[in-house]
Amino acid sequence: MTSRIGAVEAVTAPQEAPRPRPALLVRATRGGPLAGLFRAYGDLMAGVILVIGAVWVLGLITLPQVFMLEQSLWHERRGGEQVQLTLEIDNAYQDLELLRFDRMALEGDQSAEAEAERERIQARMAELEQRIAELEAAERQPVRTYGLANYARMSGLHFQIFLKTLVAGALVTLIALVVCYPMAYVVAKVATPQRAALLMLGLVIPYAINELLRIFAWLMILDFNGVLNTMLGWLGLAPVRYLDSSAGVFVGMVYAYVLFMVFPIYNTVETLDRNQIEAARDLGASTFKIHSRIVIPHAKPGIAVGCIMTFMLAVGSYSVPQILSRGSAGDWFSQLIYKQFFESFNWNTGSAYAFTLLLTCIAFIFVMMAIFRVGIRDIAR
Amino acid sequence: MNGGAAGGRGSALVLNLYIGIFFAYLFLPLVIMVAAAFNDYSPPSVTVWRGFTLDWFPALWADTRMWQGLINSLLIALGVVLISIPCGLAGALILTRLDSRMNAPLYAIMVSPILTPGIILGVSTLVFWRNFGVGGGLLLAAIAQATFIASYCMLMFMARLQRQDRALEEAALDLGATHARAFFRITVPFLMPTILTAAVIAFLQSIENYNTTVFAIGGDHTLVTEIGSRMRFGLSPVVNVIGVIFVVLTVISATAYVLLKQREQLRARARG
Repeated sequence: MTSRIGAVEAVTAPQEAPRPRPALLVRATRGGPLAGLFRAYGDLMAGVILVIGAVWVLGLITLPQVFMLEQSLWHERRGGEQVQLTLEIDNAYQDLELLRFDRMALEGDQSAEAEAERERIQARMAELEQRIAELEAAERQPVRTYGLANYARMSGLHFQIFLKTLVAGALVTLIALVVCYPMAYVVAKVATPQRAALLMLGLVIPYAINELLRIFAWLMILDFNGVLNTMLGWLGLAPVRYLDSSAGVFVGMVYAYVLFMVFPIYNTVETLDRNQIEAARDLGASTFKIHSRIVIPHAKPGIAVGCIMTFMLAVGSYSVPQILSRGSAGDWFSQLIYKQFFESFNWNTGSAYAFTLLLTCIAFIFVMMAIFRVGIRDIAR
Repeated sequence: MNGGAAGGRGSALVLNLYIGIFFAYLFLPLVIMVAAAFNDYSPPSVTVWRGFTLDWFPALWADTRMWQGLINSLLIALGVVLISIPCGLAGALILTRLDSRMNAPLYAIMVSPILTPGIILGVSTLVFWRNFGVGGGLLLAAIAQATFIASYCMLMFMARLQRQDRALEEAALDLGATHARAFFRITVPFLMPTILTAAVIAFLQSIENYNTTVFAIGGDHTLVTEIGSRMRFGLSPVVNVIGVIFVVLTVISATAYVLLKQREQLRARARG
């Protein structure tokens, strides 16, 4: 493609004296991967485009992640060791005072013995002073130790919370897939155009309403004095504390993220040629066969994207657990990260937890790509 | 149900039942939230009905923290648009012209913020910018949000650029137009509808973001983080009023969106 354009340009470009250009620029623009960009937009604009692109890719996307990873890999000595250091410094100061006292006692004595002793004390004092300076420097600048300690520090409880979050995320994804696939198929292929538009509207509205408000609606339902418990009361049943267990959060997650599955699947099913379905039916394929052999294989990229988005949103959700848990309900992983940053002020451990979550999501993406046999290009389209 | 291949009356009934239950599930909670905004009772409820009232609307109007949150949200959204449109456009222009094996990995990197949990974008931005003395606040929230909103903009620009007729640009250059002139007279007008759409979407995405913002906002608050902390500490029908406003705005814009899209499809079908 580009070579063909180059050939056309070589023939038609007006012959004029080229302005002198820096050697590096010449090399970057002639041939090379960036040639197309420079040819289309000129040196100045291509340069600006590259700088802005680099600011985004490096300054906003990659470097923050690199810095977060770096932060997660070290910790500073504190606590017990620091106290010991302070003790050691105090002792050194005491020794120094004793030596000073000894020296004063020898004052006035002119014998050779006393002279030698004075020198010995002087040397010892200089040594101690240097040691004190070293220790004090160490006290002011806590030692940075690199390693995986922040990751290993995750306690049994925190690890359980991590697992709970992952399992809940996977379940939310599975439920969303089962519920949304038929819906997406109906809107894309079964309904008449008018009816499809109406159904679409019905999906877009709850999808577009702010996440927090959707969760708030469930807070009203699941609250101890809420709608559900009042209705249980009408039936003569005892109220349940939904928000004091993980159940409330799970219900909220399903509601908050279920629709992120519909649209990716809809978008891929929509492109399927209706004739393929008709032909299969005419040839006697069952509904199950039509879906397993024609629709689902075609919709794979959409299903993969829907699963990735739903899982990512569920495991990374801070809003749902924050709003839909009360009292004795345990934390979720996102809340642990928040607490490490803003309550314990331990950014190193917080970064380690955040990076663990990031790795989990990346792993999930690769698993989905392997299961559905789709590439990264198919995914974010 | 026409299209009607689903196989007989029985399965059509099951399908309709399924659709009905699904939409009841989607809309009932929203109906409850909206109804409680008009109930003369606090905490918000629909099961304890004390009569219709509009009192919660002036209560929201008088809420200065909410107003401040709204102003902050608008400021952040403006910043996000100003950052993410140039970034997304630059990314799309580079990707469409880059002739290298690096194209696919670069594409993956540019799309990755969409697939990254929002809280991680907030955390990493917070950690990174502390090195430059930028702490949590409006600016940092805008930067953190722009990281992934620029990816959405990039995808929209990519889609548009793929339909671009490059011959026009090349003709202009061949006829002696400078690169800048060709860009601003041909490429930018061609991209203008997408620039506007992307700006609107970036603006809306920014306003409604919670998970990224809450980590980057520091001591400030936006409309949405304020709503979040209100929900945590006791319920108030004032939040329901905000819900009503959001629902009304969403219904109007979603209806417009679907109608536009349907008209586009019909036109495409008529043409094709």
